[in-house]
Amino acid sequence: MHALSKYVAKRLLWTLPTLLIVAVMVFFLVRMIPGDPAQLILGDSASPEELANLRANLGLDQSVPLQFLYWLGNVLQGDLGHSISNGASVLPLMLDRFQVSAIIVLVAVALATLIAVPAGLIAAWRQNEHVDIAIVAASTLLMSIPSFWLGLMLLLAFGLKLGWLPVVGYVPFTEKPWTAITYVILPVVTLMLIEVGVLTRMMRASAIEILRLEYVMHARAKGLSERKVLLRHVLPNAFAPTWTMIGLVLGGLLGGIAVLETVFTLPGLGRLLVDAIFARDYPVVQGCLLFTALIYVIVNLIVDLCYPLFDPRVTAS
Amino acid sequence: MKYRSLLKTTAVMALLAATADTAMAQDKMMRVRINADIRSTDPGVNRDANSDAIVLHMVEGLVGYKDDASIAPLLAKSIDVTADGKAYTFKLRDGLKFSNGEPLTSADVLASWQRYVDPKTAWRCLKDVTGSGVASVTSVTAPDSSTVIFTLEKPTALFLATLARTDCGGTGIYHKSSIDAQGKWVKPVGTGPFLLQEWRSGQYVQLAANPNYVSPGGERTGYVGDKTPKVSTVRFMVIPDDAAAKAGLYSGDIDVISDLNNADVEELSASKQLKVDKVASMGLTGLLFQTRDPLLKDVRIRKALLLSLDIPQIAEALTNGQSPANLSVIPVPSPYSGKVQKDVPARDLAEARKLLAEAGYNGQPIKWLATKFYPSLFDAAVLVQAMAQEADINIEIETLDWATLLDRYTAGNYSAMSFTYSARLDPSLSFDMVSGNKDKSPNKVWDNPEGLKLIAESTTISNDKQRQALFDKLEGMIRADVPLIPLYSGTRIGAVRANVEGYKTWPVGYPRMWGVSFAAGK
Repeated sequence: MHALSKYVAKRLLWTLPTLLIVAVMVFFLVRMIPGDPAQLILGDSASPEELANLRANLGLDQSVPLQFLYWLGNVLQGDLGHSISNGASVLPLMLDRFQVSAIIVLVAVALATLIAVPAGLIAAWRQNEHVDIAIVAASTLLMSIPSFWLGLMLLLAFGLKLGWLPVVGYVPFTEKPWTAITYVILPVVTLMLIEVGVLTRMMRASAIEILRLEYVMHARAKGLSERKVLLRHVLPNAFAPTWTMIGLVLGGLLGGIAVLETVFTLPGLGRLLVDAIFARDYPVVQGCLLFTALIYVIVNLIVDLCYPLFDPRVTAS
Repeated sequence: MKYRSLLKTTAVMALLAATADTAMAQDKMMRVRINADIRSTDPGVNRDANSDAIVLHMVEGLVGYKDDASIAPLLAKSIDVTADGKAYTFKLRDGLKFSNGEPLTSADVLASWQRYVDPKTAWRCLKDVTGSGVASVTSVTAPDSSTVIFTLEKPTALFLATLARTDCGGTGIYHKSSIDAQGKWVKPVGTGPFLLQEWRSGQYVQLAANPNYVSPGGERTGYVGDKTPKVSTVRFMVIPDDAAAKAGLYSGDIDVISDLNNADVEELSASKQLKVDKVASMGLTGLLFQTRDPLLKDVRIRKALLLSLDIPQIAEALTNGQSPANLSVIPVPSPYSGKVQKDVPARDLAEARKLLAEAGYNGQPIKWLATKFYPSLFDAAVLVQAMAQEADINIEIETLDWATLLDRYTAGNYSAMSFTYSARLDPSLSFDMVSGNKDKSPNKVWDNPEGLKLIAESTTISNDKQRQALFDKLEGMIRADVPLIPLYSGTRIGAVRANVEGYKTWPVGYPRMWGVSFAAGK
């Protein structure tokens, strides 16, 4: 247990230089993009004086290194600044939007895992047979479909033609849980279908590899049923690489599913980030990217910590 | 007797049902699409088109625009201007109340004005009323509780129009409780037909009918007249994606889209579930030239470019036939868009080639900036490239995001670009939008000292005929210089569900939800 705590502490400490590098890169790269937030706020009729005044009000007239030091000082105190666009405090704004993305991503990835793991296992078990070909074809198809197109098709079918589900809007779970579910069904299903393809392929590939190993042959030779061979000996070992993939997928998706959030009108973190980039809302862009990096690191840490559950050979030491 | 009683009962039931239908219709929330979240609720401060549209449901100024972009009293019941044109006396309407029930007096007008002209407020229109813009207000006084007098340094024909401007927040008057003890903006407490109920970032802005709204009566037009709300709640929903918004309208998840794409008109008009209406708008989409560019500084090359284009065909293609070509900076719906402004020269490739030969043009590439943020700007560049090629003009298109294009426009850092201007409701402002000293304002495209003098003169004249003569002269001058090629003014297209009544699209284009209701029983 002591070793585990030390390992976690060490990994968390390692996140600090990562986050610092991300902070520096994000801050300077965002400012290298042409475009002026003051110009976007004032529009086409702004005079040079008005632009200069607004830039001064926003602190954009300072040198970039000075702006960085000022921002970093605030970040270290837990203050990510205020949105240039609407003056809202970045941290609560981000956390509010993250909740929306997190619910959709976590549910979709959990459902995708529940479908992909058995599908991948069956495909590997029945390699090159009809069922394998069907599963591989379906997963390849799902991987190939753009998420926005699939989302629009589902909207068209279940929102417009059948009228079963709402087409636009969002209701928080804290307000009306049942209504909230109707608003997230389509985005969850869209994301789930896309991720099922990726995870099935991963699970199938690793299961095929495991099925060829000698200990599986040994298990069969000693008379274990195929079910027991698959569940006891193949699944845990084949799941480890898939679990890594789930970690990467989760880390990537939690940072934002901007396209789906735009199609389904969800106020998530991805849309916040994209809107902020278009508006050159520097504090929000910086905050979102820093937060995304942190989430990525944390998710992968959790994934690593879960590894010993599937593979006892992996320990904290 | 028995039948009479049955008839009576039926009639009463029918009446009750109709009343219930009407009540239900009024209680139902009206949902309106906006394509992005608002920036703030502070009138004319940190604003954009969506912010203006929503804020103007809650606050009202002394004057407002009518549908035809002329100015009429709003909070004022009368406006007297002295013979020298320097003093404006506004008499406030009787019985005016803020949405919190407090009466509105001239003291509130003064307090709001003082905050507007405080540089710390960063009011969008500060420069327009403090000397460097169209007017210079030297004093504002309130001799009694219902009178306010604005005194100007010099007379100007645009003072009232400036007060009414949507980007100035209509110079809306708000109650002192709109601001906290530290002087920070809280929320608008105004006299408009609606009040702010909830703003949920990235999702919606919800307004409720103002129970203390006092109607001036009269025809509902622009931002003036009877603005009585006919629904209890309006929700402006943030839906960035056009396809999702259209689907929402079809499914009934939203009731109003105030700004539809030209390409969708035909499809939506064919639906029995929807109603579509359209009106010419006051914007400008066109082609800008940098007259200091080594190549394009030669007016003959700019003229050749103009002559190589079939402007009506471009306008037809870009707007799906919704907007006519308009080669003037004065928009089509303006009363000043006369014969001179409506003239569109025919395409003349031979003349274009002749001018190019005279200018010594040898196929040097012209970098053309465009953006796909507004698809029509990119499409315009592609069409211009194809047509100009027929006159042996070599155009290379560079596609940028909107923020970068705007940055290049502001710095004057381009050779040529497709660009779109927001609506200007007076021709003086339309000319001012594109004209100026390039050394001081690099974003201006037309730097002609004589033209600038005439534009300044046009802001001081109130007589329509004299103004028209000036604008005709300016039209001739700007066309001779070809610093830009306007293509069309645009069309505002609105679509509503079939059960929505009273919604009207207008040249300014912002949604107006007062006087709009659901049809009873539908």
